[in-house]
Amino acid sequence: MIELRGLSKTFVGRDGSTVEALKGVDLDVADGEFLTILGPSGCGKTTLLKTVAGLISWDSGEILINGSPVTGPGPDRAVVFQAFALMPWATVVENVAFGLQLRGVKKSEREERARKLIHTVGLEGFEKKRPGELSGGMQQRVGLARALAVDPQILLMDEPFGAVDEQTRRLLQEELLSIWEKTKLTVVFITHSMEEAVLLGDRVALMSARPGQIAEIVPVPLERPRSSDVHALERSKDYVEITAYLWDRLRDMHEEHRRETEAAAGGVA
Amino acid sequence: MAERVIGQSTEGADAVETPPHQPPRGATGWRRLDVPITYQLLTFVLFALAWQLYGTHRGGLLVPTFTETVVSLVDLLGRGEFWESMYISNQALVIGFVIAVSVGVPLGVLLGRFRTFERFTDVYLNILLVTPMAAIIPLLIMSVGFGLASRVILVTIFAIVLVIVSCRAGVRQIDPSLIEMARSYGASEAQVWRRILIPAAMPAIMTGIRLGLGRAVTGMVLVELLMVSLALGGLILEFRGMFQGGLLYATIVAILAEALILINIARWIERRATPWAQSATSTRSFQ
Repeated sequence: MIELRGLSKTFVGRDGSTVEALKGVDLDVADGEFLTILGPSGCGKTTLLKTVAGLISWDSGEILINGSPVTGPGPDRAVVFQAFALMPWATVVENVAFGLQLRGVKKSEREERARKLIHTVGLEGFEKKRPGELSGGMQQRVGLARALAVDPQILLMDEPFGAVDEQTRRLLQEELLSIWEKTKLTVVFITHSMEEAVLLGDRVALMSARPGQIAEIVPVPLERPRSSDVHALERSKDYVEITAYLWDRLRDMHEEHRRETEAAAGGVA
Repeated sequence: MAERVIGQSTEGADAVETPPHQPPRGATGWRRLDVPITYQLLTFVLFALAWQLYGTHRGGLLVPTFTETVVSLVDLLGRGEFWESMYISNQALVIGFVIAVSVGVPLGVLLGRFRTFERFTDVYLNILLVTPMAAIIPLLIMSVGFGLASRVILVTIFAIVLVIVSCRAGVRQIDPSLIEMARSYGASEAQVWRRILIPAAMPAIMTGIRLGLGRAVTGMVLVELLMVSLALGGLILEFRGMFQGGLLYATIVAILAEALILINIARWIERRATPWAQSATSTRSFQ
């Protein structure tokens, strides 16, 4: 269970300008839930994820995981990064085993576990390759395997499929669904794609920008498991309706934001 | 890229997409060197021919022909005097270079990591980068004298700047998301250094060492020419003074050969140590 209470974070630029990345964010994520966070770019979604990961500090409010406050990164959480963040000098096995290596797990033990997860993400045969020899989609499979290797309760995914091509993204989404259906991890998944948010999530948290706030939480009443027939799912009435609804909301938010900026600019002039 | 798309569409839904490029498995050893060496030999033959023609027709006393130089080189390599000079010169080179690396690498890495530290040192580095080092030679002689120490110091000063600058750039270029990734898995500061910063900066460190080696050789010869006429530099001055064109050229060829060998060894080690890196400065014409 993840609980965010009144979480606020303001970035101050070198010239003194401020950006309210998060303002009073309240959010609950249940155990085993797949929550997607959808919002325009620059709305603070990544900031939100990184505070939960314990990678950046915040100004006020609190984050509780299973009742205890977050003070930094912890073994209960693992992050999958947008730009993969793989070590180019290390092989696939070494990359996947990295989290375990930091925790002092013996080499034979951690590599055995890494091989198992490389199998899970469908990369067997590439154990000895380096990231530079892999395509983007394969690199993110490595990133996912590395996160799963440390056996976390919570998977934090920061636009993980944003940097791969459309076809590969579809495969990765289906595979993530089937992995999640087996493991029942709690997942917080950041995306800017409405389709992705609906396809994967139990609920979609819609974020607005400047200040970054949760505008609305939209439950997704699509049946589970979804991995078996994604195509039929995408043609279902519910899917089409929710996606259209999210699209409308995002467009409204965009319009509103534009009017506000124009008003502000007019006020100054 | 066209191949990839075709491959993907036929593989079906659960197939793994093909990697962007497969390393050339069969291309090892001589095959890699094959093409560049052919070209290099060709240019060398042309160069030698032009030299020979110039030397024969317009050479005079101080420009020997190519063949004369080769004969003199054989003669030179047979002299004890030459090997003694090599030993003395290289003594300064080895000591100076080792100091440059063992001080320059840690210093460069620290400067890259801690920006505040850098503010104090930047101006001195810039001075070292732009000043013609030959200008400080008289200063060195006055303060340290003609011995090994001043030669070592000059070699070090020559080499260390590129080592520092390259290591600093290497640490600065590290993708911050790698550090963030390590922290997210609970890495301590020491682990971040050992597991991320050092390996990530390794290609730049190796490049810095190689470039520094080239500069060290320059420093070694320069100091003997301008400061103490000794060893290899001394030989050059001596042969020039006696109008022995062949031997003069042979000495220079010997120095060039040594530099070339050293640089190639360094490049080989660099590739061996950091096979994942595509260093911009190393010639990888086979790719």
